[in-house]
Amino acid sequence: MTPMRAMVIDDSRAMRMILKRIVTKLNFEAVEAGDGKEALDLLADMTEVPALALIDWNMPNMNGLEFVMKVRAEPRLREMTLVMVTTESEQSQIVRALAAGAHEYVIKPFTEGAMIEKLALLGLVPTGANS
Amino acid sequence: MSVEVEVDENDLAEMVEQVWEAYLDPEGVSPLMQTYDENQPSEVHSSVSITGSWSGHVVYASSRAAAKRAAAAFLAMELEEVSEEDISDTLGELANIVGGNVKAMLPAGAQLSLPQVVLAPESSARYPNTERISGVYGLWEGEPVSISMWQSSTDTKEEGA
Repeated sequence: MTPMRAMVIDDSRAMRMILKRIVTKLNFEAVEAGDGKEALDLLADMTEVPALALIDWNMPNMNGLEFVMKVRAEPRLREMTLVMVTTESEQSQIVRALAAGAHEYVIKPFTEGAMIEKLALLGLVPTGANS
Repeated sequence: MSVEVEVDENDLAEMVEQVWEAYLDPEGVSPLMQTYDENQPSEVHSSVSITGSWSGHVVYASSRAAAKRAAAAFLAMELEEVSEEDISDTLGELANIVGGNVKAMLPAGAQLSLPQVVLAPESSARYPNTERISGVYGLWEGEPVSISMWQSSTDTKEEGA
């Protein structure tokens, strides 16, 4: 089965490694970006849009919320599922991200199981992939 | 009027437990054992600054051995594989995670900085005009680890100013 592509966007290399490890285990091919701008540049060069983007909020150059808004304004990227993965856990911030077009929200720290469950809820991995 | 801080040691301890469960000790076999010794030594530290409705810093500090162990756990590596960059990245992310969760417990209108990492003891850093207001101090597999909050003493904004 051809792996789906996932984009991991976080300025922390350590967090990118954790997220990459999880999605690779779920048969995604992971592409990494260190901020929203780098992610947009990578997307511009891709013929096949990733099925999933895991997006940090606080990043230099272009933050996660700005990235979500840019993606939502681009019809070519409409099919990409956007998941915010961030320490920004205030209710108001969650509402802002969802209103901007994010599909889901995962608060750090998260366990691997919690992340897999969230992706299962989004229909990106089979239910029970965590077991 | 000084902003009232609602993050106490129990709140910090709960966050620490979540970080250990998620990244540093998913099997639940080596928790941070609290010593309550705020003068325990450190060899490396990382911090994030919070500004806005509350001003101050959240500092994660540990021995180098604990930092190396944290990086190995965080990045699923063997201890001998861990590089200086891995330690630095992991310390930064730990400060970011704890700081972000602290920010969520503060009054609305606070902003979080990107993390800073210093591979030197916490005591080598200066946070001018700040006071340590809360902290969790402990041993992780025998090595010192602490998470502390430092409030800026200039955080006394006049209402309407």
